[in-house]
Amino acid sequence: MRDWTHGGLARGLLAATALIFLVAGLGLVAALFLGAWRFLGEPSALSNLFGDFWDPLRNRYGVLPFIVGSVVVTLGALVMAVPLALGVAVTLAEQRTAGMKDFAVRALTVLTAVPSVIFGWWGLQMVVPWVRARVGGPGFSLLAAGIVLALMVLPTFSLFFFQSLERVPQSLREGSAALGATPDQTLWRVAFRAAMPGLTNGLLVGVARALGETMAVQMVIGGQTALPSSLTSPGATLTTQIITDMTVFPPGTRGHAVLDIMALLLMLGMYVLVRLAERWGSVS
Amino acid sequence: MKRGMVWHRVAAVLFAIAAAGFALILGSVLWAGLPDLTWHFLASWPNERTGGGGILPELINTGVMVGLTLVITAPLGLAVAVYRREYRMRRAATLNHLRATLLSAPTIVVGLVVYRVAVGWWHWPVSLLTGCLALAVINWPFMVTVAGEALEGVPQGYREASLALGASRWQTIRRVVIPASLAQLVEGLGMAAARLAGESAALIVTAGVNVSRHWSFWAPGETLAVHIWYIRTEGLVLNRDAAAAATGVTLMVLIAVVLWLSRRIARWLE
Amino acid sequence: MPPEIRVEGLSVWYDRHHALKQVSLEVAPGEVLALIGPSGCGKSTFLRTLNRLLEEGGRARISGRVFLGDADIYDAAADIPDLRRRVGMVFQAPNPFPFSIFDNVAYGPRLQGVTDRQALRRIVERSLQQAALWDEVRGKLRRSALTLSGGQQQRLCIARALAVEPEVLLMDEPTASLDPMSTTKIEELVAALRGRYTIVMVTHNLRQAARISDRTAFFAEGTLIEVGPTRQMFTAPLDPRTEQYLTGRYES
Ligand SMILES: Nc1ncnc2c1ncn2[C@@H]1O[C@H](COP(=O)(O)OP(=O)(O)OP(=O)(O)O)[C@@H](O)[C@H]1O
Ligand SMILES: [Mg+2]
Repeated sequence: MRDWTHGGLARGLLAATALIFLVAGLGLVAALFLGAWRFLGEPSALSNLFGDFWDPLRNRYGVLPFIVGSVVVTLGALVMAVPLALGVAVTLAEQRTAGMKDFAVRALTVLTAVPSVIFGWWGLQMVVPWVRARVGGPGFSLLAAGIVLALMVLPTFSLFFFQSLERVPQSLREGSAALGATPDQTLWRVAFRAAMPGLTNGLLVGVARALGETMAVQMVIGGQTALPSSLTSPGATLTTQIITDMTVFPPGTRGHAVLDIMALLLMLGMYVLVRLAERWGSVS
Repeated sequence: MKRGMVWHRVAAVLFAIAAAGFALILGSVLWAGLPDLTWHFLASWPNERTGGGGILPELINTGVMVGLTLVITAPLGLAVAVYRREYRMRRAATLNHLRATLLSAPTIVVGLVVYRVAVGWWHWPVSLLTGCLALAVINWPFMVTVAGEALEGVPQGYREASLALGASRWQTIRRVVIPASLAQLVEGLGMAAARLAGESAALIVTAGVNVSRHWSFWAPGETLAVHIWYIRTEGLVLNRDAAAAATGVTLMVLIAVVLWLSRRIARWLE
Repeated sequence: MPPEIRVEGLSVWYDRHHALKQVSLEVAPGEVLALIGPSGCGKSTFLRTLNRLLEEGGRARISGRVFLGDADIYDAAADIPDLRRRVGMVFQAPNPFPFSIFDNVAYGPRLQGVTDRQALRRIVERSLQQAALWDEVRGKLRRSALTLSGGQQQRLCIARALAVEPEVLLMDEPTASLDPMSTTKIEELVAALRGRYTIVMVTHNLRQAARISDRTAFFAEGTLIEVGPTRQMFTAPLDPRTEQYLTGRYES
């Protein structure tokens, strides 16, 4: 009897905590909505928002440059990081000793924990000067941001890809080899194909990480609010613009409401990625 | 030579490029930072205007904020994970979507909301505690995730054996499930600490960048990661690259030690 | 005419464990050879040396020579994928790919560059018929192979092996996890294939060995103890250890 009450109390506390978690999480989104409402409630808010010009002084709040910046930088990082990560994953999965694989997982885990500002520092130190020397201009650019971000998400991609390749049973590789497949054929036709849900999941997690990254990008992208004209021109992303303008627009101003809208866009993007991962990337 | 290894060769080349990239990053940070990394640097105060000098307060702030955040969020995260995994919970799918979405939420978004709520509505100052609140919001979904994975790692047979012996669900959780997942929980805790120690975006807006000379939870508190950003982008000292790098080395060593320690403890618990 | 297999002084080590010791053995063209012996005596290891699959695992060391027809398969210039195309293998546990039934059977031919849909359909249908699975899966070829039962999966793996038209078939306890009905089907299949393929089959089922094999080889502790015509082996074994094993009294 006492145990029952005890268990009942514990259960009640756990349930309450879970409820608070739900409320806090939804509250976070609600707070963004609340902040965003000030702007969204205005007439012609949407046409203003999705314009391509950002000039708060003249009442122009087009966030298109930042959406473009986010998409371009993320895609750029993917184009560079995904092949590299696949190479890392394939090479590590080929290693035969368990100790070697164990070490690889540990090393990749440590590398995923390297802080953004370290990558930002490196970007300022090497990537920006390199772009400047190569193509002229300030060097702060979407390209520099893409390169820095690529290296930053590389360990995440590598770890996920490696683990999903490892989950492909050895018996399938042997089955393929026994039918006369070369190592390459087994890799493409069995390993990658059987690992596809895991690879997709890793891809989406990496995209989320790239899309949400702030500091590393902020330090090298240049912060220009006009629509970028090329890969080597400076720009801004949704996240970098939020951090740059937070000190400019205190809560309650119209500018801040637009930052809330940008945050909502990011959260919406994350939610979509989560649902996609659930549909395509569920690792059975 | 074995036939059909072309793509494996390509993979090895890509691996080498990736490894070289990381060697370049870590190498250049070490190269630039190590010469400046002295006891004096670790144990003295920074210069408030130029950003140069030592990093003692940043070290302390980082430790305090990460520690405080973990103390608050570890039990909260475990509680949510236990309730979701061990009890038949309604709306488990909703909770899971929310967890996953918050987990990938950009930390600056968390900073934005915490700033509005804590600073704007509750009139908290930009301070160490406000920073902790932001870190807690960032870390809660992460703790729920790692705790959930740890619980998932406990074989279902353990639970059934305990329940079959007449234990209640709560007794099973307390005496079987949590002890069996303890090692993984500790490792998750280490990963959370590493992740928090590297956080910068949310803290810049909630905990501030300037270092005050008095200790207070209600005063701004700059962490190591924020310090790196600050001196490298806004700092005025001549050797700012080196000072930032030295701070970076300190931070990375700290993170590596935390990860290594949590791993050791987990191994020992196993 | 399928090729003969000649094994000369074959030894295998896993790290320090000496798993096969100086095995010499011949398999005549088109015959069915059964491998019997206590668990862990090296039967699977022996089978895996015949298509060089042992090297996939990485840790094994091999010495000795194996001839398939006239060619030494361990020759430095040997083409391993081509060898494995000629020597098909069915594993102890069914290992269908997580693809459709069709894609499983078409896997081998596609590796050889067959892309024509009609040709692939013909091969798939013929192989499934040979493996006595066609009647159960016709019209369901797009289904995932993982939806099949264990016995059906094993026959699918046989069909998959047959689809590349090998000359030799290695079978590692193909009926170990099957019910009597599926077992019978696979035994009938082996009987039907006799003569067209050289077949080496591991089995723990002595009666199965007696029913379907032409000759039987008895292994113990990595050594080939005795090999001879199945009937003679089961009625008048030469080695006392064979007799002990056949009567269930063998202790290693
Ligand atoms: N990959 C491996 N690494 C190390 N040792 C191995 C490996 N594979 C097999 N062995 C060892 O080699 C010996 C022979 O193994 P093998 O699988 O060939 O036996 P088997 O006769 O097929 O047994 P069973 O009838 O149980 O399938 C065993 O002692 C086994 O422990
Ligand atoms: Mg075996």
